[in-house]
Amino acid sequence: MNRSRISFWTAVATLFVGAALYSAQEARAQSASPTIGEPAPAFTLPDTYGTEHALADYRGEWVVLEWLNYGCPYVKKHYNSQNMQGLQETYGGKGVKWLAIVSSAQGKQGYYEPAEMNEMSEQKGQNALAVLLDPTGEVGRLYNAQTTPQMVIIDPAGTLLYNGAIDDKPSSRPASLEGAHNYLAAALDEAMAGKPVSVPTTKPYGCSVKYPS
Amino acid sequence: MNETFRAVTRWNVAVVLAAGLAAAPVPLLGQDAVADQDSARPDPSPHSAAALIAETRSVQPGSSFTVGLQLTLEPGWHTYWRNPGDSGEAASITWRLPAGVTAGEIQWPAPQLISFPPLASYGYFDEVLLLVEISTGSQFGAGDSLRLAGRADWLVCIEDCFPAEADLELTLPVSDAPPGLDRLTAPLFEAARAEIPGADSSWSSFARFKEPWYGLKIDPPDALGSVMGSDLSDVHFFASDPNVIDHAAEQSPDWDGETLVIRLARSGFSAGVPDTVFGVLVTERDGAGAPIAAVKISAPVIVAGNPAVEAETGSGLGVALLFAFLGGLLLNLMPCVFPVLSLKVLGFVEHSQQQPGGAARQGAAFATGVLVSFWVLGALLLVLRAAGESVGWGFQLQSPLFVGAMAVLFFLLALALLGAFEIGISFTRFATDEFVKVPSRTHIARNPTARSFGSGVLATIVATPCTAPFMGAALGWAFLRPPAQTMLVFTALGAGMAAPYVALSLSPGLLDRLPAPGRWMETLKQLLAFPLLATVVWLAWVFGLQTGVNGLTGLLSALLLAGLAIWVGARWGGMAAQQPGKAIARATAIAIGGVALLILVRAAGSVPEPGSAPGAESATTAWPEWSPTAAGEVLREGRPLLIDFTAAWCLSCQVNERVVLNTATVRDAFREHGVTTLRADWTRRDAAITAALAELERSSVPVYALYSGRGGDPVLLPSVHTKEIVLEALETYVPVQR
Repeated sequence: MNRSRISFWTAVATLFVGAALYSAQEARAQSASPTIGEPAPAFTLPDTYGTEHALADYRGEWVVLEWLNYGCPYVKKHYNSQNMQGLQETYGGKGVKWLAIVSSAQGKQGYYEPAEMNEMSEQKGQNALAVLLDPTGEVGRLYNAQTTPQMVIIDPAGTLLYNGAIDDKPSSRPASLEGAHNYLAAALDEAMAGKPVSVPTTKPYGCSVKYPS
Repeated sequence: MNETFRAVTRWNVAVVLAAGLAAAPVPLLGQDAVADQDSARPDPSPHSAAALIAETRSVQPGSSFTVGLQLTLEPGWHTYWRNPGDSGEAASITWRLPAGVTAGEIQWPAPQLISFPPLASYGYFDEVLLLVEISTGSQFGAGDSLRLAGRADWLVCIEDCFPAEADLELTLPVSDAPPGLDRLTAPLFEAARAEIPGADSSWSSFARFKEPWYGLKIDPPDALGSVMGSDLSDVHFFASDPNVIDHAAEQSPDWDGETLVIRLARSGFSAGVPDTVFGVLVTERDGAGAPIAAVKISAPVIVAGNPAVEAETGSGLGVALLFAFLGGLLLNLMPCVFPVLSLKVLGFVEHSQQQPGGAARQGAAFATGVLVSFWVLGALLLVLRAAGESVGWGFQLQSPLFVGAMAVLFFLLALALLGAFEIGISFTRFATDEFVKVPSRTHIARNPTARSFGSGVLATIVATPCTAPFMGAALGWAFLRPPAQTMLVFTALGAGMAAPYVALSLSPGLLDRLPAPGRWMETLKQLLAFPLLATVVWLAWVFGLQTGVNGLTGLLSALLLAGLAIWVGARWGGMAAQQPGKAIARATAIAIGGVALLILVRAAGSVPEPGSAPGAESATTAWPEWSPTAAGEVLREGRPLLIDFTAAWCLSCQVNERVVLNTATVRDAFREHGVTTLRADWTRRDAAITAALAELERSSVPVYALYSGRGGDPVLLPSVHTKEIVLEALETYVPVQR
């Protein structure tokens, strides 16, 4: 009897939830940005060595996501000047788990086979914990990644704290780094000091993320 | 000169010839060429070329004149507008000017939308001339020459991008004579000016913001409005600020009367809502998508849900909560809920005799079940709305699958109450146990609290189809409030619904006054199956309007098979049945149930045949169907208009139509006042109607919008109205011309 009761309830619940989900799906959701202050969207991606990284693995740690495309002039500005590597080193030293994500589709700018990507990273002195491969662009879309570079901060509780530009100088000229206000560093410093992030989102700048067409 | 010449102009010899003859552009190679993929090409301006040209042949001291940065791009490549969109960067000029000379801002021609889903950019193809006004001081005298120099930076992209730069300079003679136009460049400047959108006070606009949308409303001058016509595929709004709107989102321009309505999604990276939305409206484009006609727009933003709206909806939260509580109480009397809950009361009767004192705990568990279910429903809707949907309460009844699933559920509950498969049958035993608490002491003793909680959940589930028709408008209103308040309203509703049982379970005196259990309970139980079956009839009617006669037949077949499955499963698969037949019977029952489900899903996907659209029958008024165009036409002619926003599943809509709108008195009054009537039927999901409702800041039906025909916002009639209210409104807002 108990089992049949359970199965009845399961049937009712399935009907109801199924219908509700169906209606919800009909109410086609817009490609909205993930919400600041809400749990960061979960993902699992392989790195260039084939190791899977799930965001959930980093619960309890500060996480930075960096959208990366080595062919993009805006990314080059930050790598050729050692600006990005410097940030990676500084915050990596403070225990921040820094994950670079490449959402370029196969055949498009910024896409490299893992071995080639490792070579590029070697050349650039990449200091991120891992370079994750997202050729379908699924994770990029999840985070509304529009440009390379684009930066995301996730706190140890898994909450999204920042999504936006790396700094306030939307230019590819290396000279623009001088006097730039680094939004990422400012937000990380505030958050890690236990303060609220005063600028939690900014318009990212750079090359478009090369999503599959 | 010839050498530099070639360096500049690989793409448009004629233009640069003109430029060159006019003013000798002298590009100097940039020093820090970041240009290409790792220094394979030292070209400072890949895939493009730049030139600085002047409109006049000389400069008059103390006057101003116009120069232009001419960017010429390889076919297929683009560069960017002042707001580049999701990615990219606008061109810029870093001037090196003599003292006393100043350069103005770049005057940007209207851009083109460059789409790379899910991203979008604003920019130009082929060639663009960016005009800059230069003002000179009077320290120059005739015979001097004025040297303008600067570095232009721009980004040239196909999908991949290259930063480009050029050092440019231009020298013009200073002369006291009025400057003559340069014959070769002047036509280029004239053409460029024509493409720069101007501000035009005859275009009025404002934007209504309601998270996450801006409804941009623009009134074009009369003449232009009719030229633009009904094909709005060329119309696009380009925001000037990079961080106000989502550049890639569909804008769905449409007419609302004489007003052009454009829906703009808020940028996911914007921190707030600006006071004014600035941008350019392109109204006409050539075959290649380049703008031909464009106007500057600065639309003040009105944020919806502000005090004005609250004042209109009246009262504070307290009154809203009180009404929600009373609504919850009333919900118990609805045909969907009454049978289920009456049986719950009988359960108390039974239970209080067996185990005094336990009733209170059960009452509390039941109330918790109701409340939790309401919270889940409220939260689900809030999540949907946060995802950018303008859904209102009642949206679930727009899904045929939901309606069909509810019909099946009610049908099975009715069968159970009727005792259609009685002996040794687990489902029935479950159902009767659940509702009547017939003696099964061990069972009750095992987990009465959990079961009461379950009953609460079930009561709420069966109540949902009834809340929409009776309380859709009220709950729709609740969703205009901040989420916390919406949830409070839902809480009050659940509390109201659970209140009678909690009261009953807490007062043994009341319980004692109920008749003692007996055969009458069995009779009542069977009687109560009929309101449930009536609900099935109503749901089937709604389902039929949504899916046509074939869909309806599918639903009835699904009911038949569901009944058969239960019967087979209970008759031979129940607890009392013998092995091994039991397993076979259960498998058969599940298989039949699966077929029923498949048929239901297919039926829910069917669409009514043309001619039997819901509009034809769902309402009792024979009003013409609403469309933005139809409404726009009436309003453009300055005639009064009443729009009836209705749905088959909305009972108060049906009542209003039957008792008020479709009576002879009211019909005559409409004729006398010259009011055109249109009906917007929301029985099925309809984006245009949802948008129109959102315009009116409503998220549910019924809504009755009366337009005077003299412009301005419509008057909304109360959602429960009388003939007198309608006649009064007509007299007030649409007086008869005598």
